[in-house]
Amino acid sequence: MTTDTPARVTETGPRALARQRRRRSVVRFWTRYRTHRAGLAGLAALILFALVALTAPLTVGSDVAGVTDAPGQPMESPSGAFPLGTDRFGRNLLGLLVWGSRISLLVGLLAAVLSVTIGTLVGITAGHFKGAYATVLMRVTDWFLVMPTLVLAIALATVMSRSLGTVVLAIGVTTWPTTARLVRAQTLAVESRPYIERAKALGGGHWHIMSRHVLPNVMPLVLAQATLGISTAILAEATLAFLGLGDPTVVSWGGLLQEAREAGAVSSGDWWYLVPPGIAIAAVALAFTLCGRAVESVLNPRLEVDR
Amino acid sequence: MSTQVHGRGLSGPRRSGPRAGRLVAAAGAAALVFSAGLATPLDPAPRRAAAAEGDSVLTVAVAQSVDSLSPFLAQRLVSTSIHRLMYEYLTNYDPKDNHAVPGLATRWESSPDKLTWTYTIRSDSKWSDGQQATAQDAAWTFNKMMTDEGAATANGSFVGNFEKVTAPSPTQLVIQLKKPQATMTALDVPIVPKHVWEKVGDFSKFNNDKSFPVVGNGPFVLTDYKPDSYVRLKPNKDFWRGAPKFDELVVRYYKDQDAAVAALRKGEVSFVAGSPSLTPAQAASLKNEKNIRVNDAPGRRFYALATNPGAKAKNGQKFGDGDPSLLDARVRHALFQAVDRKTVIDKVFQGHAVEGQGYIPPRFSQYFWKPSASQELAYDPEKAGRLLDQAGYKKNSAGKRLGKDGKPITYRVLCHATDPNDKAVGQYLTEWWGELGIGVTLDCLDNVTDPWLAGTYDLAFDGWSVNPDPDFVLSIHTCAALPATPKVTGATDNFVCDKRYDDLYARQLAEYDPAKRATIVKQMESRLYDLGYMNVMAYPNAVEAYRTDQIKSIRTMPSAAGNIYGQDGYWSWWSAVPAASDGSSDDSGSTGIVIGGVVLAVILVGAGGFVALRRRSTADDRE
Repeated sequence: MTTDTPARVTETGPRALARQRRRRSVVRFWTRYRTHRAGLAGLAALILFALVALTAPLTVGSDVAGVTDAPGQPMESPSGAFPLGTDRFGRNLLGLLVWGSRISLLVGLLAAVLSVTIGTLVGITAGHFKGAYATVLMRVTDWFLVMPTLVLAIALATVMSRSLGTVVLAIGVTTWPTTARLVRAQTLAVESRPYIERAKALGGGHWHIMSRHVLPNVMPLVLAQATLGISTAILAEATLAFLGLGDPTVVSWGGLLQEAREAGAVSSGDWWYLVPPGIAIAAVALAFTLCGRAVESVLNPRLEVDR
Repeated sequence: MSTQVHGRGLSGPRRSGPRAGRLVAAAGAAALVFSAGLATPLDPAPRRAAAAEGDSVLTVAVAQSVDSLSPFLAQRLVSTSIHRLMYEYLTNYDPKDNHAVPGLATRWESSPDKLTWTYTIRSDSKWSDGQQATAQDAAWTFNKMMTDEGAATANGSFVGNFEKVTAPSPTQLVIQLKKPQATMTALDVPIVPKHVWEKVGDFSKFNNDKSFPVVGNGPFVLTDYKPDSYVRLKPNKDFWRGAPKFDELVVRYYKDQDAAVAALRKGEVSFVAGSPSLTPAQAASLKNEKNIRVNDAPGRRFYALATNPGAKAKNGQKFGDGDPSLLDARVRHALFQAVDRKTVIDKVFQGHAVEGQGYIPPRFSQYFWKPSASQELAYDPEKAGRLLDQAGYKKNSAGKRLGKDGKPITYRVLCHATDPNDKAVGQYLTEWWGELGIGVTLDCLDNVTDPWLAGTYDLAFDGWSVNPDPDFVLSIHTCAALPATPKVTGATDNFVCDKRYDDLYARQLAEYDPAKRATIVKQMESRLYDLGYMNVMAYPNAVEAYRTDQIKSIRTMPSAAGNIYGQDGYWSWWSAVPAASDGSSDDSGSTGIVIGGVVLAVILVGAGGFVALRRRSTADDRE
């Protein structure tokens, strides 16, 4: 230890210490994450998808979704000009696939964030307050847990107007119970530790306990849950769009599949209309699952020992 | 008879709940999106109706389920088509040129004052239970519809003008009218046996599906029916025109059109009627198939964009919330002038349609009308922009046109979620009208009936099948068709009510001279065109397909280039001749299955790789 370090510590106090600690834990996390080959592959795939989606305005532009000046003839098979053929309007399917990634990823992320936020909120408060409040909340959670998610989401998407927000909401409010259950269990475990009792004795209120002590401890769990949730949400978005519950004017992967089915591409064998968006959905969902599992096992080493 | 395909009411329930339910059931992990799409072709589809060995069975795949088997209630095309087969009507239409030919009546004549019609009923038509079909049955059918409101549900419009119907003798039917009516040889009303139907209590509830076979005198006798599944008919051996050639006719309901096409490829069905027609991709791929013939015929439908003219009831009460700017004819014309009908034909229908002009499709040549060059609302977006400027709807700095209330105009366009054409054309409209500075919200709903009847839309996709006698499709735009109060349902299509149109309508109905009547009908079409509430974009073709190794020959209507399913008559199924050897070519090379297999394989490989990776990683970690 160099001589000027103690001086700095005294200067900036606990903040620098915390930063150091965080940096160290990030490095530790990464070193452990690196050992998961599947997780690395998933991460690489994710970075690739994210790049494709973020650069889409530069590479294909929003014009690709325009129908009036579509460049090709309807339902052209793959060729040099259109590597993945054209759709029923004569639009370039490769371009649509790239453009559709934005919506699919966006909806997936937003819905997962919404779902995890609701789940965390319910889980922490239920675990912290206990009593009648928790009983009621957990019965509601149970009810959502046994409801078939898709049916509920379809019902919601049907009664509300067709837009992206609706789909996000429909997925978000139907997929939170698992997170809520997990977070509540973790909250109970954390709150039974002696230091929580000490914090209470020192005058820590509900808000302080929940936000300063419980939340940081359940955060890893929430993070892993969110990563896994994204793949579920992307699949759910594709499913809803495929069932015709999405916004028909917005290009998404599920929407492309739905269009392909409506145009009769399945029975006429126009595979280029069906297979690419299908594979894209599967690949992204797989990538998020791989990452999520890796994060989970890094944060919770017991998982691996048990297996 | 309302053979509505697109309009409210009928296409709504065309595909409903059960479909979603089944898909939900199929929902599983990552493969969900695919399995949902491909479940249907992979489904072990119901085998061809189990019939006695060697019997020739004609299986027709339809995309609608039967709403009711009672001729007094049925309104869907599939049900009215089945009624054509079960019961004789007074008259039928010639398959060549649609003129009235004898049905149950052999001759008919009107009195000099045009108010009394006398029909001679044939004496060689027997009900399937052995009793003679007489004028009594016909008189009873009409009288029932005139006196019982429940019996007037489907075809009440035909008898609205009837004063009295009597049967002085078993072979003579006399109908007295209040006012002259030109449609007396086009009464599309199934005549039912009095001795069976007079036992029925509540006509608004009875669906005619309690005892089989159902007594009838048409070319087929209905022997079995399962709701949302199939209708089975046997030929009537004593049919006066001659018995049908097939031993059995099965009308099977397919919720998914791709599934029906896959069934046709495998030979499980003999004929596929589209919903409303096969998609261009399906037609193109079926054309190359052995033993399958695609029938691409000029259709009897029009495909239009209806405008909400401010919904109101007969009592003058206004309801709904249509955009007030649409009450200006210049706005309506401008909107339609920004619609490139040629692109709709080329891209959406891919040539399987004819560009829209007048209200009645060119197939009915005597009534077909097209606008003169000066009258025509040809595609001209710049002129449309000028027209909107003139009407006082100017663009703001952001390029959006402002309504009279100072807010940007956005129209809600009602579209059928079950019709891919609506959604496709809707996307074009969004861009075309966007250029004009007008926003579009596509409201694609499974059930468009509710907003439609409530008048809570601005524009809507609309379409009707036109009968050889155009009276019905003309009548739905008269003031008389408006609902009595906002609470009840009227016969009106989209609340059009125009004095001049109504006067012309009354005149054509009283005109017995076909040529003169046609002239008036054309004037009505011209008036409707100028009003701009019904803008016909296209006349879609009837695109359907059948197996030539099961059906040797079948009569289209009109015979030159006509459709098979949904004819005005029983010609197609009555005339169908079975192919000599019932080719059971079960070619397993169904592309749907191949694709399904490929996609499934990809998923399995992906999942397998994933599992393997995980296995390896955990193994590594253990070491």
